[in-house]
Amino acid sequence: MLALSTEVAPRRSLEDLDRGCRARGLDGLEVVIAADGDADSVFVRARSSGARVVALQTARIDAASAPAIARAAADLGVPVSVSPAAVDPDSLAHIAGAFARAGARLLLGCHTNLDEALELVLAVRAIGTPAALGLAWELHPSSAADLSEASALLLATRELLGVVRLHGGGPEQRDQDGYGIGPLFVELALSGFAGPIVLCPSSPEMVTRWTQWLGSRGSSGCGHAVSTREVELDVRGVEPRHRLETIMGAYRMLVPGATLHLTVDHDPVCMYYTLEATEPERSFSFQVVEHGPEIWRAEVTKR
Amino acid sequence: MSQIELDIRLVPPREKHPAIFRTFDALSPGQAFTLINDHDPAPLRHQFNATRTDQFEWSYLESGPVVWRVSIGKRG
Repeated sequence: MLALSTEVAPRRSLEDLDRGCRARGLDGLEVVIAADGDADSVFVRARSSGARVVALQTARIDAASAPAIARAAADLGVPVSVSPAAVDPDSLAHIAGAFARAGARLLLGCHTNLDEALELVLAVRAIGTPAALGLAWELHPSSAADLSEASALLLATRELLGVVRLHGGGPEQRDQDGYGIGPLFVELALSGFAGPIVLCPSSPEMVTRWTQWLGSRGSSGCGHAVSTREVELDVRGVEPRHRLETIMGAYRMLVPGATLHLTVDHDPVCMYYTLEATEPERSFSFQVVEHGPEIWRAEVTKR
Repeated sequence: MSQIELDIRLVPPREKHPAIFRTFDALSPGQAFTLINDHDPAPLRHQFNATRTDQFEWSYLESGPVVWRVSIGKRG
């Protein structure tokens, strides 16, 4: 399940954010309770907006505020995450008790650092309310260090992991290329993790980009014909969901004998199989002339 | 093992198909996973047909317009 944190556009209404999520195919929202906010008013906003709330995040929690936050979480049926730095270790047991009584779950944020993760796992186990306490993984997929420790972290925290907060994705997705998020998602899937993966901006400076991203669904093709016989098409800037139609559209426009020079950022072998399956036999030739690892070029000639 | 969901939407293009085939290859015969994508993974199906001929089951659980879910199973 993919969700969006309200951090991406803190000033937008929940209705508005949820509409943006639907347009982008995201499954719901993580609503952030700000340091000066209170859980009751966040609960009222969440309920009255009708938005699909899948998680809460709170900037702070203490023994006094815990019962109201736990109640809001239980009523919405979602977990709450918090940075362990915002929790006084001496009151953690008391806070966990409030969550256990409300039937809610508090998730302590954990960076991709195995020592930190093991310490948190021990702290959570020591309190002994497994249903009321868990972990939220704060993942930075544009950091090579983060992804190299990811497997070990997943193994160590698996049973306690309730949410993955992914600092990136959306308009930052291209910045993550090359750090190995693909294999990580395979491991996450094979481990049976079914909780929300919440997209958050990687830094406050990114918020403007996220707000724009949420408001736009467009993509731009950038194919152009050099001549009627040689057509250049670079689909790297085209969103993946528009690529097949862009490439097939360009191919179908070719006159017999013309060549499509295709530039992509993945192995184009799937395009070969697609042409083979959809076009008449022996109607084209397909040659990969540059083989990655970052850029692939293929020449497709219509016979 | 509980149900396996591979959401490929966040994975950069060049890692998408390798990640999907890695997940498929890790399945036991008879097991399936749900692939989630933001477009119809038709080219992938052609690639499965060519490279995993007669080894897979393919069924659409949701077909857009925003999200596609496909159950991909390994034949027993």
